Amino acid sequence: MEDGINSWPFDYVLVANRGEIAVRILKTVKGLGLKGAVVYHAVDAQSVAAQMADVAVEIEGTTPVAAYLDAEQIVAVALSVGAGAIHPGYGFLSENSGFARACVQAGIVFVGPTPEVIDLMGDKVTARAFVSNAGFPVAPSAIEDDDPATFVERARAVGVPLLIKPAAGGGGKGMRVVRDLALLEVEIERARSEGKRYFGDGRLYAERYVENPRHIEVQILGDAHGNVVHLFERECSVQRRFQKIIEETPSPALTPQLRQKICQTAAGIARSAGYQNAGTVEFVYGSGEFYFLEVNTRLQVEHAITEKITGFDLVHEQLRIAAGQPLGYQQSQIKAQGHAIEMRIYAEDPAQGFTPTTGPILKLREPTGDGIRVDSGIAEGLAITANFDPMLAKLIVYGADRNQAMALADKALGDYVLLGSKTNISFLRRVMNHAAFKSGDVHTGFLDANPQIAANPALTKNTLEKLLAAASLATRSMRDEADAVLDIHAAMGAWRN
Amino acid sequence: MYNNAFVLNDEELNVAISRTKNGYLLYIGDDVLPINLHKENDDFSILTVLGKRQAVMLAVHGDDVHIHMGGETYLLKYRNPLDRLAAKSRGAADDFIRAPMPGSIVSLNIAIGEAVSAGQTLLIMESMKMESTILAPRDGVVATVNFEKGQTFDRNAVLLTLEEKA
Repeated sequence: MEDGINSWPFDYVLVANRGEIAVRILKTVKGLGLKGAVVYHAVDAQSVAAQMADVAVEIEGTTPVAAYLDAEQIVAVALSVGAGAIHPGYGFLSENSGFARACVQAGIVFVGPTPEVIDLMGDKVTARAFVSNAGFPVAPSAIEDDDPATFVERARAVGVPLLIKPAAGGGGKGMRVVRDLALLEVEIERARSEGKRYFGDGRLYAERYVENPRHIEVQILGDAHGNVVHLFERECSVQRRFQKIIEETPSPALTPQLRQKICQTAAGIARSAGYQNAGTVEFVYGSGEFYFLEVNTRLQVEHAITEKITGFDLVHEQLRIAAGQPLGYQQSQIKAQGHAIEMRIYAEDPAQGFTPTTGPILKLREPTGDGIRVDSGIAEGLAITANFDPMLAKLIVYGADRNQAMALADKALGDYVLLGSKTNISFLRRVMNHAAFKSGDVHTGFLDANPQIAANPALTKNTLEKLLAAASLATRSMRDEADAVLDIHAAMGAWRN
Repeated sequence: MYNNAFVLNDEELNVAISRTKNGYLLYIGDDVLPINLHKENDDFSILTVLGKRQAVMLAVHGDDVHIHMGGETYLLKYRNPLDRLAAKSRGAADDFIRAPMPGSIVSLNIAIGEAVSAGQTLLIMESMKMESTILAPRDGVVATVNFEKGQTFDRNAVLLTLEEKA
């Protein structure tokens, strides 16, 4: 897309993030001829993002994560380097309306929605009420705050299966599924105590639970002139611990009619909210019905698969919109072609309950080739530590159709070499080759229902022999000891075969 | 002879190698296999087992041998013969309280010199936004505490050590 911008209202864009997303944003910023600045905590001083930025400024915090959450310090850095815009990436301060306001007050463009929209969508209960009042589908529900005295009664009336969630929640914490109304009150109290523990807030809401639900979300873009478009859907049903690990587009679950309906619903919700910049409307889908889940007011981790099928650079669009430009295209001009799959590369051990792993990056060979994209924030010689989220990189593949994309994914995962810390790469390959995934028959509980995929597969005798041979000969002390014995035999002239 | 071992997927495997004129012999159980390993370039080595060639990528870090082979990655941990002997005679792995996963300290419930009994809460750690409680594996006295509240640590880090009651 032509950006139609001869002079940007900002020369410098500060990336308030780290890892792969900081690298990915900097690539577009620099490609546009703008300058890129980045903040970093001392543990990231050698990071890829800090190396490639035009300016990298160290920030401090009681912990490394705290540094990246320090809005005041980051705004001060932006002012000191003369950055006219801040891109927050995802996570950290990306959905913090206070940070967005602080940017605006300092005269810096926040690359994201307005603080008002972040507030509206940030509270699950108000977001849901807004969407429902605007006439879009939400699951039948009971909200405690509406009338706490009758909450249990109203929840009972919604019927089973019923999902109880903390109003302040996220990430699956404190969620309880009720299939037997006799247990309703017990489960409500459990959810309340978990909500208090995790979020310091015991308020609840209950909604109809969709059995074997699929997670489908729609990418939307809105400008400051009231134009809103969608860039089709992404399916993110393969999850572990309520976190997405494989995403694809188009969704294998939707008919063309349903696809159009869900995408138009998402654009409608964004239009009602006066949405500006990039965002994602998430839905739960099952048995032909879909319900609004939430709006993520940021660039998503999985945005790259949308870029692959539409040809858009979403960071470029975000910057154009933030610069006040109109979208400049109609919905009918946006076409999707082919099939894209993203796999998140994590430093974790699937066989140990997906616990994070750490270690030096001794060898790194990322796959390359037609249809393969790797968004990575790591490099050989750096170390994986427990300071941050264990996601290291994203492998994105693109093919003419789903089968082609899956075949390319399998090959690229096999070619992906990261030695020094355990990763989920082999696990992703097993998922990619699982019959249910291949036929597109997955739901958000798929991995929990199939724990054998996460277990270390049994090794053949032949593989074991090869591994022990390689390991023995690569172990200095074993090899030296064996060599020493030959030397003695040689010296004695007593070698016999 | 089988003094060397590697741990692979929590299983300990005994092995030995010896030198021949043209290569090495690998001993596993009752099997003896001719093997060899040649570095091809910075990335690949060629492993030969029973005359069959296989490209492998290797990285060694301390006792950890990382191997990429046939599209899969494996980690084999070398168990040194001396370490194995020492572990047997000491018989007090319980002295070292190690982190089951990377994380940070939420609270320390004991102090150095304090007597603790088996099952008592030593500290609470957080990992992946979940709290876990580390309990004393036996009766003893806290000898060292290696991390403070809020500090982060890696998996297997020694969080604190116990010693016998005086």
